[in-house]
Amino acid sequence: MMTVVDWIVDPLSYSFMQRALIVSLLVAAVCAVLSCYLVLKGWSLMGDAISHAVLPGIVLAYVLGLPLAIGAFAAGLSCALLTGYLKENSRVKEDTVMGIVFSGMFAFGLVLFVKVETDQHLNHILFGNVLGVTLGGLAETALIAGGTLLIVLLKRRDLLLYCFDPNQARAIGLPVRTLHYGLLILLALTIVSALKAVGIILLVAMLVAPGATALLLTDRFERMLPIAVAVAMSSAALGTILSFHIDGATGACIVLVQATAFLLVFLFAPKYGLFVTWRQVRGKSPSGASEAL
Amino acid sequence: MSAFVSELLVPFGYDYMLKAMWVSALVGTVCAFLSCYLMLKGWSLMGDALGHSIVPGVAAAYIIGAPFAAGAFFAGILAALSMTFVKQHTRLREDAVIGLVFTTLFALGLLMASIWPTSVSIQTIVLGNILAISDEDAFQVVLIAGISLAVMVFIWKDLMVTFFDESQARSIGLNTRLLRIVFFTLLSACTVAALQTVGACLVIAMVVTPGATAYLLTDRFGRLIAIAVTLGAVTSFVGAYLSFFLDGATGGVIVTLQALIFLAAFYFAPKHGILAARRRRRAPSEARA
Repeated sequence: MMTVVDWIVDPLSYSFMQRALIVSLLVAAVCAVLSCYLVLKGWSLMGDAISHAVLPGIVLAYVLGLPLAIGAFAAGLSCALLTGYLKENSRVKEDTVMGIVFSGMFAFGLVLFVKVETDQHLNHILFGNVLGVTLGGLAETALIAGGTLLIVLLKRRDLLLYCFDPNQARAIGLPVRTLHYGLLILLALTIVSALKAVGIILLVAMLVAPGATALLLTDRFERMLPIAVAVAMSSAALGTILSFHIDGATGACIVLVQATAFLLVFLFAPKYGLFVTWRQVRGKSPSGASEAL
Repeated sequence: MSAFVSELLVPFGYDYMLKAMWVSALVGTVCAFLSCYLMLKGWSLMGDALGHSIVPGVAAAYIIGAPFAAGAFFAGILAALSMTFVKQHTRLREDAVIGLVFTTLFALGLLMASIWPTSVSIQTIVLGNILAISDEDAFQVVLIAGISLAVMVFIWKDLMVTFFDESQARSIGLNTRLLRIVFFTLLSACTVAALQTVGACLVIAMVVTPGATAYLLTDRFGRLIAIAVTLGAVTSFVGAYLSFFLDGATGGVIVTLQALIFLAAFYFAPKHGILAARRRRRAPSEARA
């Protein structure tokens, strides 16, 4: 008979599953922290854009013999900067510019990828390959994710004020430009560290869902961070183990578990959940009627 | 010399290449038409979201052997409804809701493809594969794109008034609600067609870039459409042609071309380009000197 404990522990007897679990947890944690800021700032789609734009960087880094993470980081950051530059200097709307830049870079990356013989699998870059993470890859992810996490947590109050109210941040003398570019750099770093686990396309889910879920559960930012991290890490663990049992894509399983968590919170959250709001609406009309009487 | 020319003409000798070029050009045309409205209204990322959201529908259709367009349409409707519903009932920003819904649906499609890998190729869906498109699929694409193009030619002026001057549209008796629904139905339909041509990830470029490029080149809406449509058709045709020499990545070539032309317009456009702006800035100071 298979108990719940066996269901969880069995997969972990394989060393590749242990590594996969550690990487997923790390990535989930750092993405969750960033997601709180992105959701508040309205930058969710910036995450999408940067993650698509890393593709040409990866291929070029391969050609030049550089570490792939450096190429990915440089490409991701240039996408953000180029978007800003084109938007400042033309009358095209920001979301349109962003769409043009990241799709152009992704397309260029595809062309390069077809032209250049690499030992990388396109599917692994696009959808992640957490089950094939090596010890070296694990160390790299841990280094980038850990560093990013540390910086964000140290600067969390400044970043928060910048996301909420840039004018106020400027008024009290915070270096707003530095914070702006700092947040972009942190986002690009996070994306680079998470590429292995979930791949380019699903990354944006990890960068949105935990923050969105936490926002429905609390009004206070100090609580939002730990909630987002807890939701993301437990979803990552559950998703990784689930993918082992159903033999499905790991990144997709993690994202779907996170989405399920969001759905549950959306329905049952104590204050902003759908059922509570409905009950309030229904509860109000009879009492209102009796008051009128 | 003649060997070089005949080398260049090789793609035209293959039926599958001719099919790919014409189908791509048709899809490029109608997507470019829609792009004029999307980029002016700031709906660019709707195109991206729709492109990703229909993936599970397409995957499901291939798994059960239904026409892909039906599955895609169903998934598109589901995506639109869930985005609206979540948006109405939470305090989340719109971009977060869009990001949440489309990635979840995309992950669902990916999971389905990883569980039934034989009946559906996720790489084909995500990257498109117009060079190897089956005749039935090509027929669906041509049908969708052709009908959409015909409808757009018929209603483009009404849509313009509806989107950019709604009170005027109502006062001349247009059914603005119906026009909006028609527009978004066409958009979903064209997303489905573009998915077959350039793949889910690059759909956004097809429905944004040509319009934005044209916007840098003209101030009049009629010309905007003409320029965008020309760009869309030519880049798609030439992109499909060039991909023959690259052995694939048709979507990548088409979209790279579109992005390069946008950059060129950004610098060299006669009125709204960077160089023109610099010249204007210099001219007054010289006049004063």
